Amino acid sequence: MREIVTVQVGGFANFIGSHFWNFQDELLGLAEDPNADEIFKNPLLDVDVLYRSGETHQGILTYTPRLVSVDLQGTLGSMSSRGTLYNVDSQAASEVNTWRGTVSTHASEPHQKNLFLQSLEEEQNPTERKGKKIDSQREYQEKDIVECLENGVKFWTDYSKVHYHPQSLYELSGLWMDVEDFDNYGIGREALSSGHQEDISERLRFFVEECDHIQGFQFIVDDSGGFSAVAAEFLENIADEYTNTPVLLYTTRGPASYMNLGQKKHKVVRGLHDAVSFSRLSSLCKLIVPLGLPSLSRSKASAYLSIKDEKPYHCSAVYAAALHSTSLPFRMQSVGRAADSQDVSGAVSVSDLVEILSGNARKNMVAILDMAMPAPSLSGRDVGQSMLGHLHPVTYEIAEDVEDSQAMETLNIHGVIGQGGHYASVSEVKDYIHAAYEHANAMPKFCHLSVARTPLPIPLPFPRIFSSLVGGQGKLLGEPIAGSLSRGSVDVHSIPIGTRLRSSIAILPHLENRLTHLQRFGIQRGAAGSELLRGWGFGRDELEEMGECLTRMVMELKPQAIMSDDSD
Amino acid sequence: MSLRVLNPNAEVLNKSAALHMNINAAKGLQDVLKTNLGPKGTIKMLVGGAGDIKLTKDGNTLLKEMQIQNPTAIMIARTAVAQDDISGDGTTSTVLFIGELMKQSDRYIDEGMHPRVLVDGFEIAKRATLQFLEKFKTPVVMGDEPDKEILKMVARTTLRTKLYEALADQLTDIVVNAVLCIRKPEEAIDLFMVEIMHMRHKFDVDTRLVEGLVLDHGSRHPDMKRRAENCYILTCNVSLEYEKSEINAGFFYSSAEQREAMVAAERRSVDERVRKIIELKNEVCSGNDNNFIVINQKGIDPPSLDLLARAGIIALRRAKRRNMERLVLACGGEAVNSVDDLTPDCLGWAGLVYEHVLGEEKYTFVENVKNPHSCTILIKGPNDHTIAQIKDAVRDGLRAVKNTIEDEAVVMGAGAFEVAARQYLINEVKKTVQGRAQLGVEAFADALLVIPKTLAENSGLDTQDVIISLTGEHDRGNVVGLNQHTGEPIDPQMEGIFDNYSVKRQIINSGPVIASQLLLVDEVIRAGRNMRKPT
Repeated sequence: MREIVTVQVGGFANFIGSHFWNFQDELLGLAEDPNADEIFKNPLLDVDVLYRSGETHQGILTYTPRLVSVDLQGTLGSMSSRGTLYNVDSQAASEVNTWRGTVSTHASEPHQKNLFLQSLEEEQNPTERKGKKIDSQREYQEKDIVECLENGVKFWTDYSKVHYHPQSLYELSGLWMDVEDFDNYGIGREALSSGHQEDISERLRFFVEECDHIQGFQFIVDDSGGFSAVAAEFLENIADEYTNTPVLLYTTRGPASYMNLGQKKHKVVRGLHDAVSFSRLSSLCKLIVPLGLPSLSRSKASAYLSIKDEKPYHCSAVYAAALHSTSLPFRMQSVGRAADSQDVSGAVSVSDLVEILSGNARKNMVAILDMAMPAPSLSGRDVGQSMLGHLHPVTYEIAEDVEDSQAMETLNIHGVIGQGGHYASVSEVKDYIHAAYEHANAMPKFCHLSVARTPLPIPLPFPRIFSSLVGGQGKLLGEPIAGSLSRGSVDVHSIPIGTRLRSSIAILPHLENRLTHLQRFGIQRGAAGSELLRGWGFGRDELEEMGECLTRMVMELKPQAIMSDDSD
Repeated sequence: MSLRVLNPNAEVLNKSAALHMNINAAKGLQDVLKTNLGPKGTIKMLVGGAGDIKLTKDGNTLLKEMQIQNPTAIMIARTAVAQDDISGDGTTSTVLFIGELMKQSDRYIDEGMHPRVLVDGFEIAKRATLQFLEKFKTPVVMGDEPDKEILKMVARTTLRTKLYEALADQLTDIVVNAVLCIRKPEEAIDLFMVEIMHMRHKFDVDTRLVEGLVLDHGSRHPDMKRRAENCYILTCNVSLEYEKSEINAGFFYSSAEQREAMVAAERRSVDERVRKIIELKNEVCSGNDNNFIVINQKGIDPPSLDLLARAGIIALRRAKRRNMERLVLACGGEAVNSVDDLTPDCLGWAGLVYEHVLGEEKYTFVENVKNPHSCTILIKGPNDHTIAQIKDAVRDGLRAVKNTIEDEAVVMGAGAFEVAARQYLINEVKKTVQGRAQLGVEAFADALLVIPKTLAENSGLDTQDVIISLTGEHDRGNVVGLNQHTGEPIDPQMEGIFDNYSVKRQIINSGPVIASQLLLVDEVIRAGRNMRKPT
């Protein structure tokens, strides 16, 4: 078994993470539930890759995510930073043992637990409630819960149903600023004292020490603000300490971070932030996947979704689904090369993935993520294009419709429905994709396919974001279902999903924008932001090095560069 | 002005409003931290929105937990936290002193005095006070064998302001011994060489000093011994797990056999490294029943653990980076980065190594070492917030001892220095100053009294009575401080109440600087948020 340690840094990253762990928790629950569909009892998808087993002081066994999450103080809402599993009795806790003098108590107003969290608590203490509930009553209650989450999610903990380990949740304290002021690289750099840094690294070490054979880090960062710098310092430490362990980095941002771009000064700050943050982060990982569209709701990726951009609760759910899908191949147990199972196929490790996408002749380490949520069924009318045509990018600032014969891809398809309405077997999917690429106009140079029959389960706290064209098993319907406009966990129980990571020249605009911003605002003589960058603690040499590094990344992908290489 | 043209919504506070905003912010912060001061202060229990408890009597910790929004308050708080970073103590005093300087200035400014004049007076008073401190301090000769008693007195003075007496006294010995253990002649003291480890267990009085090291992990193999005596310790930073090396990245296997061959080759080189360690073990342990422990900063995978276990070696993986240094200082030997030239000289020694398991947490004790230069303070407490608070106190205690050794001086505490400095400023310095700057000196002198006043207030004494009796004694030429129980003057020297010289100097240095800056602000412009809202 090869473990993965997950790291989440920053607000939106934790929103995504919360959904991500909800999916895992739901899968765990379904695997144990005797009434659940057989499809979820898939022993070849190993949860131990992401989870650790532990034991409390009282000897109770625990099973918690192998996770370090970093966020600002006060963003945990009603959840304790120590989680819920390892708490000692609270009576002894409120005694002061170390002081005989006076004690003054300063209690901030407790955060109310919402209906969902209350219902979770009740489930855990079933003694309080006796008697059987009628199904319709429960349904009614679930509807209330969904409604309350739909309108009232403020913190990522509001919709989390997962128990976290006490070492997992780390709060940055002593910043003395509002969340909205924590919005650029310089501030983040300033805020992270060496004390914080050491504490965070210690948390990570705790999880890594337990791993017999760690395959990599899955690192999610909210790169829209100061957390870029926090993550960069953290990644630098990881690169030092765990040199040969690959880091798969997802840089994410919520749609909110695209607002307030009115003034010119803001534009300079944003442009520089993006450039600096990208070049710092990319230099510290093996593969970087930028996620987050300025307007998810109007993008092609959400053709079958109805999303409200202003709600991080909504957007993060989509990205979390994508992350779940891309992480599945890491968890597949390879049953030997020759005999692939009918349930899963195409296991890769993190370093394999890195090698496929960036280790080729062209050293491009920035991958584009495309997704189809929900993925179409295989019985689609125009067989050739439907699956590939449904994959739309959720990476921003990329070129569309470029043909790149050198592209490298990994394609993950999970739980699609085949002919006759049952879950398609691995070989069916393989044949289908094969056929699809045969018919496609543009073929990538290489495509790795991972398939699992298990679909993505939709947990109760999942937002109501499916459009009325999505059926109960995530089937795409021709006719909208009458009634409500958006459907959620009450109506849709699982969905098929397809994602694709691709290393292609389509990423060029993303790189070039950053390079231009860095040069125009930062490096050029009399640049508008040179003062600002000095304030962030970057010297001229450092900036020039970043510029060179970005240029190299761009050159790697320029078609003419390849031409000249060939002529050599 | 240009900002206002740019942004008509920018809020502008004129001179007197700006000043009052600053003064009020300083006073506000002072009020919050005031009750912390001294051995009779109030401990604060902070309960967060999710019911998390934090316990603190430390100004520094408290400031960090507060959601401060007022820009002036943030400035003061930053100064105070910087004070803690530099000297390890005095956060509360800094905030109180700045607050009091502002308060005193307020009186004079209301009477029409220009802040500039006051600030000039502060500057003169600050220099005079620093000179006075040089005369007032009690020099301590360190030499090769520092006077343990004086170190204990300083440590006790700090610790008793954070913890109840019995626990403070117990920790006093611990921190003094810890610092003396890591101290090397002619070298700066690196407090990181004292590991602070905690266990959630039983009672706080179980806290103890371990001469040696406690690691927060154990071996990961069921067949390895849990307890061993007479151990050789190999401290290393060598990867003992199969991993794809960097050189192979980008290599595509053209066949399954080729891949297998690569994997096997990689595995062999790991096994080779393990074998070299086992060879060394056999070399030093043959013919005696000594044991062999490997503590590695990198990973050790199960096949390697197996090999080591079969050879009777105990192995720990992923040790903290700092522990590499600590281990060498505690046990001797050297930290090796490669197994190529292992010799018995690389090895350290420990009389006893054993594992302690608490739930899922494992601890490895490396004890009975010879002549250690690194040690561990093991804190035990019933819950996390108690542990955190003791940890803070221990850190402060360690800093106090270190400061004393480096300063080669201490300053009499219990408010004695502040009263003496005030008398000196009023009686001697003020006369030498021309014109209205005298008033600045006076304001500064009165502001110093905030320390004894607050100590008295926190003990439930009448501040005026206390100040009168203290200044009276000083005028008679007796240097006295405040007895917190009776309110009577006492001799700090007799009672063993000493503060750090560097802490006092830092407070006197930084306090007036910030206060002066804030006083000289004559306009505050802020676009965006409403700043009149309370902190």
